[in-house]
Order: sequence, then structure tokens, then C-alpha cells
Amino acid sequence: MKINQQTVSWLQVAPLTVVLLVFFGIPMLIVAAVSFFDYERWQIVPAFIFDNYVELFQSSLTLRLYVTAIKYVVIVWAVTLIIGFTVAYFLVFHVRSLTLKMGLFLLCTVPFWTSNIIRMISWIPFLGRNGVFNTGLEELGIIDQPLSFLLFSDFAVIVAYVHLNTLFMIVPIFNSMARIDPGLIEAAHDAGASRWRVIWEVVLPLSKTGIALGSIFVITLVMGDFFVVKIMSGGQSATVVSALATEIASLQYPPAAASAVVLVVIVALMVSAILRLVDVRRELTG
Amino acid sequence: MASDTRKGDIELVAVTKRFGDMVAVDNVSLRIPHGAYCCLLGPSGCGKTTILRMIAGHETPSQGDIRIGGESVAGQSPLRRGTAMMFQAYALFPHLSVLDNVAFSLKMRGLDREERQQQARELLTKVRLDHFADRLPAQLSGGQQQRVALARALITNPRVLLLDEPLSALDEYLRLRMRGELRRMQKQLGITFVHVTHTQLEAIAVADMLVVMDQGRIEQSSSPDKIYNTPRTAYVARFIGGQNVLSGKVESVSDGIATLRDAGGARLTAPVGNARPETGSQLYLSIRRDRVEVAKTAGNVADPGEANVVRGKVHSIEYQGSYAKVTIDLAQPEEFVANVSDVDFLRAPVEIGDDVLARWLPAHVRLLEGAGGSGDQRIYADAELI
Amino acid sequence: MHSTADQSRPWTFYALAAFFTLFVLFLYGPMIVIYVLSFQGPNGGLTFPLQGVSLHWFDALIKQERTGDIAGAFRRSIGLAAMVTVLTVVLSVMAGLAFRRRFAGAGLVFYMAIASLIMPGLFVSLGIGLVFQMLGVTPTWYGSALGAQLTWTLPYGLLIMFAVLGRFNRAYEEAASDLGASNWQRLRHVTLPIVLPGIIGVALFGFTLSYDEFPRTVLTSGSSNTLPLEIWAMTTDVTSPALFAVGTVTTVISFIVIGLALTSIALIERRRLRRVSSLDESSTVG
Repeated sequence: MKINQQTVSWLQVAPLTVVLLVFFGIPMLIVAAVSFFDYERWQIVPAFIFDNYVELFQSSLTLRLYVTAIKYVVIVWAVTLIIGFTVAYFLVFHVRSLTLKMGLFLLCTVPFWTSNIIRMISWIPFLGRNGVFNTGLEELGIIDQPLSFLLFSDFAVIVAYVHLNTLFMIVPIFNSMARIDPGLIEAAHDAGASRWRVIWEVVLPLSKTGIALGSIFVITLVMGDFFVVKIMSGGQSATVVSALATEIASLQYPPAAASAVVLVVIVALMVSAILRLVDVRRELTG
Repeated sequence: MASDTRKGDIELVAVTKRFGDMVAVDNVSLRIPHGAYCCLLGPSGCGKTTILRMIAGHETPSQGDIRIGGESVAGQSPLRRGTAMMFQAYALFPHLSVLDNVAFSLKMRGLDREERQQQARELLTKVRLDHFADRLPAQLSGGQQQRVALARALITNPRVLLLDEPLSALDEYLRLRMRGELRRMQKQLGITFVHVTHTQLEAIAVADMLVVMDQGRIEQSSSPDKIYNTPRTAYVARFIGGQNVLSGKVESVSDGIATLRDAGGARLTAPVGNARPETGSQLYLSIRRDRVEVAKTAGNVADPGEANVVRGKVHSIEYQGSYAKVTIDLAQPEEFVANVSDVDFLRAPVEIGDDVLARWLPAHVRLLEGAGGSGDQRIYADAELI
Repeated sequence: MHSTADQSRPWTFYALAAFFTLFVLFLYGPMIVIYVLSFQGPNGGLTFPLQGVSLHWFDALIKQERTGDIAGAFRRSIGLAAMVTVLTVVLSVMAGLAFRRRFAGAGLVFYMAIASLIMPGLFVSLGIGLVFQMLGVTPTWYGSALGAQLTWTLPYGLLIMFAVLGRFNRAYEEAASDLGASNWQRLRHVTLPIVLPGIIGVALFGFTLSYDEFPRTVLTSGSSNTLPLEIWAMTTDVTSPALFAVGTVTTVISFIVIGLALTSIALIERRRLRRVSSLDESSTVG
């Protein structure tokens, strides 16, 4: 009995699909549904009301949270983009030996495979008043009072975000750049372009896909984070998801769900805006 | 293991293969006798590889049937058919040693380790690679990889061996040497070889039977010398190389010879046999490049009344060792080349820009069918005679 | 970037190399600080200077003073990571094979996987938690948390398989068929062995992503914590360098796993890809 090839594919993809449906698809639908529920002190009441959304949009807190989140996103995106592009550029175009190239690339990626939380809190002894950085600067005589803005501040939050997420910029940009035909660079040189023109006219456009992918990763990671901001700002700052986490902790599920839905929609809009600008499908399937 | 005693003659019966809207093979019928070395020759996209893969069983015909040894092989696996294929880049399993590569089909059939390794070793000794049995394919050179691929295919004792551009991955020097190897091996084994290539010289060198293809159809199928001496169409003449294609309008026909007038006003003759082409109709003919004589002519000599003489300016001269390739500008757009032997050229050299007459014997002219193959006026790379 | 004839490096090379070094220091610096601090003396605090060098805090971990149920959390994390690894490999490989053909619904599955990848982990956690609560099922680290982590690892596994199978040359499979292999034999003896490095990559991602996973696990692990959750609890009242000791130990484990995976991939690739010049024909032809 010859089994249809399509059926074979269905059978093979079924387990993964089932897991994703059960643990992602359905839960997301439930969250969306719960966002319309009502709630009392310690339980949620199935209903279909818009109150949660109304409260969300009417609250000035919401706006502040989003402003904070977007502020972080923009700064982190810019910093990771510059660092990511520069590092990738260095690895692809200035490192000649392939083994060294891969070795250095791995060097950058290995931290990704260790605990995020540990990496994040490792900044605390580093940036604190009595931390390595301050003590070092004091010893060198550059400052005589420890810099207090280093830790438990916006600065610390951004440093942590950059520390954790630059990798997500480096990898896609590295991939895009590595695919650029070196002959193009040489041809541009032959035609008389200066180094900066070559970057602007050749490298940058051809790295667009990588930049887009990296941006999508960084934006979704920063918008969706709650623990970095909580710890590194010392509780002073809150973003959308960290406030959401607080609501969850107090069992206020419907408003948290509504907040989640709104965030997802907004992030989806940002992502599709990026996808409109750059065609990314080739990169994923190529 | 007993060799496959079934006959290895191949028959394609009105085979068509479509990929979506594209017709790769168009109603092809072909008979390849048992034990022949058959070459499928043509440019990329002509359908030759598709036919090979259909014989192998890796593609199924959209229409038509394929018979091997007289029985239809539709739906049969490659192993059942008794065919084995040598892939273009050899496709040696990179994770298996040379020995395990060769023994692979035996392992699939369930032979135990000792037996299959022993058989594999025997075959490796035949191709003189037994010392490399434990190496990985990546550690072998191109020529060695090819011999492993050959051994791996032959261990299944096929009645037909299919070779997909077997020499194109090798450098020039190896290519020439391996050509002889393949021919020798085929004669020794006595099985049918079907060899796909786009290189004319390779095809004429190895084949008993040459099939020239274009755009899914067979243009001519015959022995190499027949094709070279009497190409059927202008496409074949251009593709096989070493020919000039001329054309002219019919002025008169008598005694099986048609007299034509070409675009430049020169008179040409062509043998037409019993046919009576209409006056004014356009005929195409071919004349071998090495059958053309070249002589300098004084500038203001009136056009001679002879037939089969054309006049033009020398466009370029290429030294090729035993002959000089003299390209001449004529009134027609198509290239006209005379391959002048080095002795003749030394005796009466010409230079670029000279006015020359090119002449040939009427007996060497061949009439071509049709108006130039599939209407495609591509001019193919010259076949360089070595 | 300059022509290959130019052996000397332009000034930009040194500038970029310096930048790169700074970046690597930025990545690894804080972590190294933690490692050093974990050897803090018994009376030492959370920052420099080191008051004596000792294994006191590692000892504290083993004895479980001031550290909660570290051993249990550790056991659970390893166990969970092992299960996640196995499931991720099996499901991703199967699904990857499925996607080699076109089948109805392929696009949907793909987009669901991508969505699952970029969805903030907290939301997935929330959704699963809600579902379990509604169904009246207790969340457990080996049930709901397992599913939650799979929503994170399966998309990565799938993408890796796409890349690996996309590069895979079908000629190998045709050759196998030609030599008489059945579909199953082909898969077992040719396809899977050849893409083994990719499969190891999937396993590596599965393990490390699960082992360090936090947002998806935070609401789904029920009453027993995994290691990251335990660490999180410790951060909220950072009182001793025991936390740093935990950090060091867990990072060492990660490094070991990564090292094993990368070494095996390197070994396999090196054996299979060594090139030999075509002039090296020791046995004569013809």
C-alpha cells in the first residue's frame, strides 16, 4: 500500500504541531478570551466585557509604561545595531582565517547559552557603589566619588539589555554579510569608492535582511521583558510587561490578559512594519 | 553473485515528461541495443538528463513507457530494473568509508558484514583502489572518487549503467584519461552504458550510438561517424561542430542535384536525391570545415562561374596545432570556417583582412533537413579536433 | 576588504579589533567577576575586595544553608532539560523532514512556530497557567513547564533543521535509492547520519535553552522550582555570595555541555570535509 507523500508529511509534522497547539496556540486563545473576563478579589469570572481594555486605555499609567518600554527599545536597538554591525563587519571582512572567524564568532555566542539571570546579576557587583567599575575608576583617580547612576537606574537597565541581546543582532547580520560576494566589494573599490562609500552603498543594503531580523529579535525581547527592568532599575522603573507581572502576582488575570493582548498587537504591528520594509523570507528559507 | 542475465536493451516508447507547464521530454521514442555505449548529447535543458533519470527510475514518465530487456519497467525500483546510476558529483556518502560506500547496496539487501566487505574489496581491487578502502571520500581526489562511484554502482551487477555527466567534475587532463577507462570498462563488462554529456568531443570519442537532442526532442540518433559526416539538421551540424552551415534559394534541380543561389550571390550545389524541391524554396546544407580549401584572390577578379566557391575576407586565424582555423566573413550572418592543415597553411598562408576564395567539392556537400533545427539560431562552440 | 595582494592592515583593522576586544570584555567581564567573587571568603560580602579565598560558598551550596532547595532545583533542571532535549530533537527532526515536501497547512505551522518563538515568555506562561487552572490540573515542572519550554525550543529546533536540510544534497538520497535502499533505510543510513551535526545543534539548543529558561517556566512549574526559578528567588534578597557560587556552578555545567556538543560537531565535520588536491593521485589511472 503506497502512502501518499502528503500524508507522510502530516504524520511527521503532527507531534510538533500538537505540542505547539496545546501549549501555545490554545493558551494564547485563552489569554485573549480571559482579557474579556471579569474578576473578583480572588477569582476570575467568565464574561464578555470590555472593561479591562477600557481601563487599560484610560489609565495614564499605560501610556507611561509604553513610553518607558519604547524608550528602552529605541536606545537598545540603536546601541545593539551599532555594536552588532561593527562586530559582524569586523568578523566578516577583516578576519581572514576562516577558523579564526568561526572561533571568534563562537566566542561571542557562547554566553548566550548560559543563564540570562546570572549574566544579568553579574552586573550588580560590577556597577555597584563599591563595585569593580567604581573602585577601578577611583583607584585610577578619574573620580573621587563613586558614580551612583551606574546601578539601579536606566543606565543599568540599558547596559543589561545590550549585554544580553547584542548577540541577536550579531548573528543575523553576520549571516547576511557573509553571503555578500567579496567580488562586489573589490569591484566597488576598483570603481574608486572610499571605504565609507563601500559600506554605505554595498554592505549596508546587502545586510538589510540581517538587520531586519536582528531588529525583530531585539525589539520583541526588550518589549517582552520583565525581569531585567525589575532588577536593574531596583524597582524604580516599570515597563509594560513588568507591570503585567505584578498584576499576575496579585491574581488579576483579566487585566493582565488585556494588557498582554494589547502588547502583542503593538509588537506585531512593529514587526510587520519591519517586514514590509525588508523581505525576510529568503533569509529564513535560504 | 551471479550477473544479471537479462538483456539490457532499452526502449523508450513515446515518452513524454512534463514538469508543470514545461515539457522536458517531448514524445521521444528510442531503441538502444544491448551492450551498446550510447551517448545522449545536447545543451543543458534539452532533456537528456531527464531521460536518463527516467530510465533509472528516479523520474516517472508523464506519458509513454520504458522497457528494458523487452519488459516494461514502469513503477519498478532502480534495483529491480537492473539499472545503476553514476551521479554527476558522484554523491559518495561522506560519512562512510570507501569500502562501506561500495558495500552499501549489499548492506541494504541484508548481506552480513564479512561477506559484503569481501565483495566490495574485490571490486575495489578491480578499480585499483583497494589501498583506499578505509579512507573517507573527502580524502580522495576527483578521479579516485569517480572510480569509487563506479565500483559502488557496479557491485549491484546492473544490466544498464547510467552515467550523468561523469567527466564534467574532472579537470581536462583527467577527463581525457578517464574517457578511455570508461570505454574499456564497458567493453569488458558487456553491459549497456547510457552516458549523458554536453561535450561533443567526449561523446564522439566514447559512443557506439550517439543521440543528439534539443528541447526535449531527438534531432538525430546514429553512430558518431554517420552524424559527423552526414548531420541531419542544421542544429545537429552546428552542435556537433566542425561543420559550416550554408543556405540558398533553389534555382534549378537536375539529376538529383539542386543548384542554389546564396545571399551573397554565390552558386551552391546540394544533392537532393529523388526529391524535387520547388524553385525559390530555401535549402540548408553543410560542408565539413576540413573539406574547405582557401586561396588568396586578387581584389578585382570577377566572380568565378564555378559552383561551390564563395568569396570573403579573412576575419580571424587561430592556430590549433595540426591545423589553422580560418574564419571568413561572408555575406551570410553565420560563421564560415575553414580548417586548413598546417602543411597547406604554411605553403599558402593568408592573413587577417585578405580577400580569399573558399572552395569545396560538390561530393562533400550534405543536404540538411528543415530550416535550422528548432528555429533557434544559436551557434554552438566549435568542436576542436584533437 | 583591501585587495588580497595588500598584506598590511589598514588602520581600520586595528580600530575594529580594539572595538571587538572591548566587546568581548564587555560580554565576559561581569561573568568573570562573579566567578572570582564566588571564591569569596566566609566573611566576605557581595563585592570586592575578596576577604580570603575559599570554597566556603560552594560548600554552603552543597550543605544547602541559606540557599533554599538548590540540590532539588538542580536535579529538576537537569531532568527537565534532558526531557526537553530528547523531545525537541525527535519532534524537530520529524517536522523538519515533513517540510521538505509541500503539504497543506505548512505555512500555518511555520507561522505558529515563529509566533511561538517571539512571543514574550511570560505570556506563554500565563496562558498555560490559566489553562491548567481552568482544567483543574496542577501545574508541574514535568508537565506544564515541559510544555512551556517546548514552545521555546521547538521553533529553534525547526529553524535549525530547515537550515541543515536545506543545504542537504538530495543526490545522496537518490544514490541510496538507486542502490536499493527503502525509504526507511535511506533515512536511517544516509540522511540522518549526514545531518547529524545539525541534530547535535538542535540538541544543544534544546538543552541550554531549557536549562536556563525562566519566563516560560515562572508560572508553570508549580510548587517545585527549577534552578533559574531558584536563582530568581535568591536575587530578590541577595544576601550572600552563595548566589555567585550558584552562578559559577551552573555556568560551568553549561560550558561543559556546549563544549561536548561543539567538539563532536567539529570532529564530525573535520573528518568529512577534508579536501585533497586533484594532483594527489598516487595510484595511476588508465
